[in-house]
Amino acid sequence: MESSILESIGVEIIGVMSPVSICMFLVVLLVYSLSPSNPFSSSPSVPIRTAANLVYLESPSDSATQKLEGSLLNALVFVILIAIVTFLLVVLYYYNFTNFLKNYMRFSAFFVLATMGGSIFLSIIQHFSIPVDSITCFLLLFNFTVIGVLSVFSGGIPIILRQAYMVSLGIIVATWFTKLPEWTTWALLVALAVYDLVAVLAPGGPLKLLVELASSRDDELPALVYEARPIATRSRGSNLGLLVGGVSDSGSVELQAVNNSENRTTNEGESSPLVSHSRERHSFSSDSSEHSTVVVCTDRVQNREPEIVVDEEMSPLVEMMGLGNERAQQTRRDNVEVRGSGSGSDSDRGIKLGLGDFVFYSVLVGRAAMYDLMTVYACYLAIISGLGCTLILLSVCHRALPALPISITLGVVFYFLTRLLMEPFVVGTATNLMMF
Amino acid sequence: MTIAAGIGYALLALGPSLSLFVSVISKKPFLILTVLSSTLLWLISLIVLSGLWRGFLPLNSTTWWPYGMLLFTSIAFQEGLRLLFWRVYKRLEDLLDAFADKVSKPRLFMTDKMQISLAGGLGHGVAHAVFFCLSLLTPAFGPATFFVDRCSQIPFFLVSAIIALAFVTIHTFSMVIAFNGYAEGNKVDQLFVPVVHLAAGLVTLVNFASGGCIVSIPLLYFIAILTLIRCGKMVWRRLTEHQSTQGNS
Repeated sequence: MESSILESIGVEIIGVMSPVSICMFLVVLLVYSLSPSNPFSSSPSVPIRTAANLVYLESPSDSATQKLEGSLLNALVFVILIAIVTFLLVVLYYYNFTNFLKNYMRFSAFFVLATMGGSIFLSIIQHFSIPVDSITCFLLLFNFTVIGVLSVFSGGIPIILRQAYMVSLGIIVATWFTKLPEWTTWALLVALAVYDLVAVLAPGGPLKLLVELASSRDDELPALVYEARPIATRSRGSNLGLLVGGVSDSGSVELQAVNNSENRTTNEGESSPLVSHSRERHSFSSDSSEHSTVVVCTDRVQNREPEIVVDEEMSPLVEMMGLGNERAQQTRRDNVEVRGSGSGSDSDRGIKLGLGDFVFYSVLVGRAAMYDLMTVYACYLAIISGLGCTLILLSVCHRALPALPISITLGVVFYFLTRLLMEPFVVGTATNLMMF
Repeated sequence: MTIAAGIGYALLALGPSLSLFVSVISKKPFLILTVLSSTLLWLISLIVLSGLWRGFLPLNSTTWWPYGMLLFTSIAFQEGLRLLFWRVYKRLEDLLDAFADKVSKPRLFMTDKMQISLAGGLGHGVAHAVFFCLSLLTPAFGPATFFVDRCSQIPFFLVSAIIALAFVTIHTFSMVIAFNGYAEGNKVDQLFVPVVHLAAGLVTLVNFASGGCIVSIPLLYFIAILTLIRCGKMVWRRLTEHQSTQGNS
């Protein structure tokens, strides 16, 4: 069967959407199953004090204006804190404290997985009364945590494991954020969306600086980012679509080469890599993980992009293009991917999505889950469509884009529309068994 | 009987569409996107409608004609939306074909077009089931169940799941019929879809009578099966025509 075009369009969008969906789904499930009878939901009577509610502790008896003021203040303080931390990160990165940063990230991953994750596991165990003794539990948790820490910044870990740990980090943090009081959560989400917009787009915004620095050094971002690799094209496309497409794909290849050269000024690897190339292909065709390729060409970890350029200049070997693309290490920021209407191709470099985006999407959905299932669905759809819009914009703008603003705005708007308008309507008609 | 019951209701309403999703849709990313966008479109239509009707709610639950009005306006609005969806899809199809030419892949096959319309219909149907059945299921996970006065024989959740299943079927396959009708300029098909939708909506009005659900559910399933047969016949005809033209050429 010839591969139709439907199979190749939107692979990368789905590659980002599916982990986000999984993350949101699991957070909703956690919030839902843990909320009725568990120590956390009773704890709002004794609210926890975190960085997100430093100024004001919400209590249900306060008046609306009091809550509003307090939650706005909370959000402001939290955003300022985040901005300071991000600037600190930029400064450290600028002065090349990369190792320190990576170790700090590892430590924080350890901390999050061990303590926050541990307490969530404990509450799950309590809630479902799973019979497990403390030693086993400790051992399992320890193993889970250690593998998670290892997977964050080192090679040699299968990408799928890394993605799984990123998602679970997102789940854990988001579950904790859902324990914030309601008004503070909403204020926080909106404030973060605005902050994200400013930090990524405004000149001198910390995230923009960070991304530019990272791309000028041709380095990985020193932050927790989810990296979507085209797993689907690898399993199916590489032996079906791309091979079948064969030489006839050269049109798109040219386009890609153009994209790349306008994108990447460093073509220093162009002359050499024929050898490493075939090696690389070899190691890939033996279906090895990322690790073994890194071992085979040890010194090339930094110079991946040039290889890809060469990949595409040897256009007839299109299957190599597919393989090379899997290695494309680019931030989602300079991801020049022209899709759908334009001149794109079915190949994709990994789109990267910050872990913060995962967390706050899930926080929104988790907060919606505390009201009703209907708001959950509405918010989910709104967030996913916002994410889709962001990805499409990304293909138009060719630059780093904030992922939070569109999604969070849509999510909040849909939440309140659903809660205020739709629910009485739907409940009113459905309980009378009227449907259409 | 709590979690099991809730999951059972949910699967009753959404099981067929779930299997359709897994077997047909999930293999092609573009179809997933189509499902999502059509679900979003349906949600937006529901929000707009509820915004329009918000002022009149809650309706007097003893007279039936306000509900009739409500159903009629909603269905009219949604059928209008279907036309819009078709327009958008038409432009998208041109874009996709242009894109396929560019990357030297075959243009959209006829089955591809049908699958897109199926995905669009599935999105509508799933949205219906999710908002009218699944979102009310929360209490079903608890230890009790709920009966409506007018239909006291069956639990409310079961009734709504059964009705939702019928509507999922109708929505899913009437979209295929409608798209095909628009593409071929077939007036009968173009009219068939709104009429079926309206008939299905009006049949649920029978639920207003005490014990009416015993009558309305078989009627609803009759309509659903009618839609299915019509859609199946149409697809079969298109496929055989397609094969014969291919055989000739």
